[in-house]
Amino acid sequence: MDHKHDKSFLLSQGVFIFVYLAVLTGLEFFIAISFKSVPLLVVVALVKAVLVVYYYMHVYKLNVEHEGEEESYEYKSGTNRLGLWLFLISDSFVFGGLLVMRINLLGLTRPELNQLLGLGVTSVLLISSFFMNRGETMLHNGDRKGFLVNTAWTFLLGLGFLLGVILVEWRLAIEEGMTPDSGPAGAAFFMMTGMHAFHVLTGLILLAIIWFNGRRGLYDEKNYPVEAAAVYWHFVDVVWIFFYPALYLIGRLA
Amino acid sequence: MRNMNPVRKGLLLLILGGAVGYGIGLVIDLLISGTLNFSGSVSAAFAVLFAFSSFFFGLYGYRGITRGLVWQVVGMMLGAFFVTGIRALMGKTEIFGPFFFSEPAWVVGALTSVVFFLFGVGALDDWMKWARGIDTPEHKEDPPGWEKYFYVSYDHKVIGIQYTATALFLIAVGGTFALIFRSELAFSQLQFLTLDLNLFNQNGPKLYNTLMSLHGIMMIISILLGVSGIINYVVPLLLGARDMAFPRMNAFAYWVAVPATVLFLLSLVLGGFDTGWTGYPPLSARAPVGMQMFFLAVFTAGWSSILGSLNVIATVLRMRAKGMTSMRLPIFVWAGLATSIIALTATQLIGLSFQLVMFQRLFGMGFFDAAKGGNPVLFQHMFWFYSHPAVYVFVLPGLGVISELLPVFVRKPLFGYRWIAMSSLGIAFVGFTVWAHHMFTSGMNEYLRVPFMYSTLLVAVPTGVKFFSWVATIWGGKIEFATPMLFVIGAIIVFLIGGLTGPPNAAIALDLHLHDTYWVVGHFHDTIFGGFVFPFFAANYYWYPKATGRRMSEFWGKMHFWLMTPSFFVLTFGMMVVGLRGMRRRIVDYDPGLGLDSTHLILTIAAFLIGFSVFIFFVNFFYSMKNGEKAEGNVWNSRSPEWQVPSPMPAHNYEVPFEVVGEPYDYGLPGSKYVEFSANGKTHHHHGEEAIVHGS
Repeated sequence: MDHKHDKSFLLSQGVFIFVYLAVLTGLEFFIAISFKSVPLLVVVALVKAVLVVYYYMHVYKLNVEHEGEEESYEYKSGTNRLGLWLFLISDSFVFGGLLVMRINLLGLTRPELNQLLGLGVTSVLLISSFFMNRGETMLHNGDRKGFLVNTAWTFLLGLGFLLGVILVEWRLAIEEGMTPDSGPAGAAFFMMTGMHAFHVLTGLILLAIIWFNGRRGLYDEKNYPVEAAAVYWHFVDVVWIFFYPALYLIGRLA
Repeated sequence: MRNMNPVRKGLLLLILGGAVGYGIGLVIDLLISGTLNFSGSVSAAFAVLFAFSSFFFGLYGYRGITRGLVWQVVGMMLGAFFVTGIRALMGKTEIFGPFFFSEPAWVVGALTSVVFFLFGVGALDDWMKWARGIDTPEHKEDPPGWEKYFYVSYDHKVIGIQYTATALFLIAVGGTFALIFRSELAFSQLQFLTLDLNLFNQNGPKLYNTLMSLHGIMMIISILLGVSGIINYVVPLLLGARDMAFPRMNAFAYWVAVPATVLFLLSLVLGGFDTGWTGYPPLSARAPVGMQMFFLAVFTAGWSSILGSLNVIATVLRMRAKGMTSMRLPIFVWAGLATSIIALTATQLIGLSFQLVMFQRLFGMGFFDAAKGGNPVLFQHMFWFYSHPAVYVFVLPGLGVISELLPVFVRKPLFGYRWIAMSSLGIAFVGFTVWAHHMFTSGMNEYLRVPFMYSTLLVAVPTGVKFFSWVATIWGGKIEFATPMLFVIGAIIVFLIGGLTGPPNAAIALDLHLHDTYWVVGHFHDTIFGGFVFPFFAANYYWYPKATGRRMSEFWGKMHFWLMTPSFFVLTFGMMVVGLRGMRRRIVDYDPGLGLDSTHLILTIAAFLIGFSVFIFFVNFFYSMKNGEKAEGNVWNSRSPEWQVPSPMPAHNYEVPFEVVGEPYDYGLPGSKYVEFSANGKTHHHHGEEAIVHGS
């Protein structure tokens, strides 16, 4: 399979997956309005999650048999890729645990938060993932400058998200009287955003490392570290896709 | 001093350093509280910290582990003083607590101490270089001799031995704690853990609680490290790999467990904790600082488990020898894989649950505080979501060892290979669905009880598959009663008792009565001894010649077995008996009217006999390193690839790669062979039944 064919195949697969996701979201909306059935919603959400994971696995060639000798860079990168994905599976259990905590403590209520700010930081984080993907692709195509520019944008947007949550959203919440020790809503909010922000922070550190090393041309040939940072960044992004509705959208105001 | 034996020098410095630390602690305590308290927490904490570093300084000099421990002390002081300073600036009234530092200062100090340890020991060196864009060689050469065991080596065999040695150290400490509180239980009323005792800010009964809790958790951590020890040493050899998939992460996973061990000992002296190893709130939200040290130690040791298991999965999936298809994988590798799937994922939940209690204590976040709208039962769900599957993390490798060793000593093929392989995965997956059977009396929703009862009973099915296979494998075999085989048979019998006493706990109606009695204590000691401790000893006796080129004394090995096994039966059956007659778990005393005094005395004697038998094992283990009978060949006449090359194993494992050409356990079948070594067209044939180098 030549490279070009591979690319168009990936693209069509991506389009299909997004069509599926759109259909499923419509179905979710329908179920939520007409049946109000939580188990059904959970099933659909799980199918969505599986599709997203499948797509990412495909983009990052996790389910492809390839590579040559065991000591080659390609083979080792394949092993590293597997290791990283295993780590993300493990990490997702922390975030899953936090979601369980939120559902158990708050049920069908949600904390009172600044909706505009929530939408804003969420958009900033999602857009940062776009630049991340762009930067990574550019490096694969040998465009070091484009990689640096796009990674810098990712970093700045990520930093914007972090500051937006920690400096603005946290302060607003505290001013509204929702402190960590004020009750279950405050505890869940600060714990979940705090844990996520910690992961964003580590992601920013990784971005800084690949930016500085990439500027010196270290990843022109062996670019697995860039892929690793990118996958981690997308992961942090995906976690927020689950946390944002859990904190801002689901349920009624307490 | 210069020409002294390093061990003696270490022990001398251990005493000196401990005394100096104790003295410093006394002075600090005097300055803070104005009284001279000879059995206080502060002096003991400093004594622990100083004694450890001094011992390794004498043994090894200022490098490797010593540097790590010294950095840990420095890191702890820096972190704690930093927080103390900030609190002083913020105008807090309580800058210093009864344990010298305040609780937040101790917590931050403990966290920084772990990071400092890892930097100091050098576990992060290569990663720091990579981050700065400096490349380092894939493998590094270790110095010969014993010194490589005390610094950061990337060799999976060295790391496996480091894990095993640490596990043995923790078994010794945790066992000693058990003997102390078991002595108190020998008679009703309080004998020496009395109310007027005051040690480490704890009176007698409180100290009992701390020792009991620490016995539980230190044995658990020791088991996790022991599991990692066997897997690390054996799995790459069975796969024909040069090393694990991620050698640096492998070293990191080991070294992060060492500062955790120090934190466990600190939790003893910093006021202890009386919750048992489960750490349920609300009690754990109120216990002394020792509770936080316990949480942080488990959290840190959890990283070891998670990263170690990640490494195992990647190694098994990516680094198998040619021809080693999934159905020709050694059973022990299947067991390691199943265990790793649990440890990789579920461990995060115990970390999270402890972290939430930690934050509840530090920031008043009311996750589990009913007064603030929290839910204490939520903690139990999160905690048991790991802590029940954790039991399978302990026993699956042990059961794998049984299946791996059994065919070698009965000279017959393993019965039902596929079923055994799949039953490990089956236990692992069913294990994820049973956690709430620990909570039948906790006040969780009643409709949850029955499904969890049935899922729990379901575990018996894949476990039963293993028993049928073992019995069918032994049936009609030519059994050789070497020491490892004795422990394998002991394991099967003890685990059977552990398994049979399980369903009564799983049945709701019975569990309402059995919950929190000594019956449960008897039950889980049976499962853990049968599922891990006996196989662990078997694995030690079995692979010892591979690691050292010498074998442990058969006579003393058999003494160990024949002393430990009957005493163990007395102990656990006795525990179940007193449990059924009304003895509660986790209490320092019992009513003489219950009429349990004589049984408890027998239990205590049995416990001491077990302790003595393990002491025999320790002596045998260390004595045989230098003085054991030479054993460089295929000692057990095994078909496994690691026994087809001379012992001790060379640094880079197999000089000639092997190819898998047959089934792994076809013992006794003429003409069958498992592996074939080949290089440059030159083929060495190693037939399972023909390449016999008997016991030499």
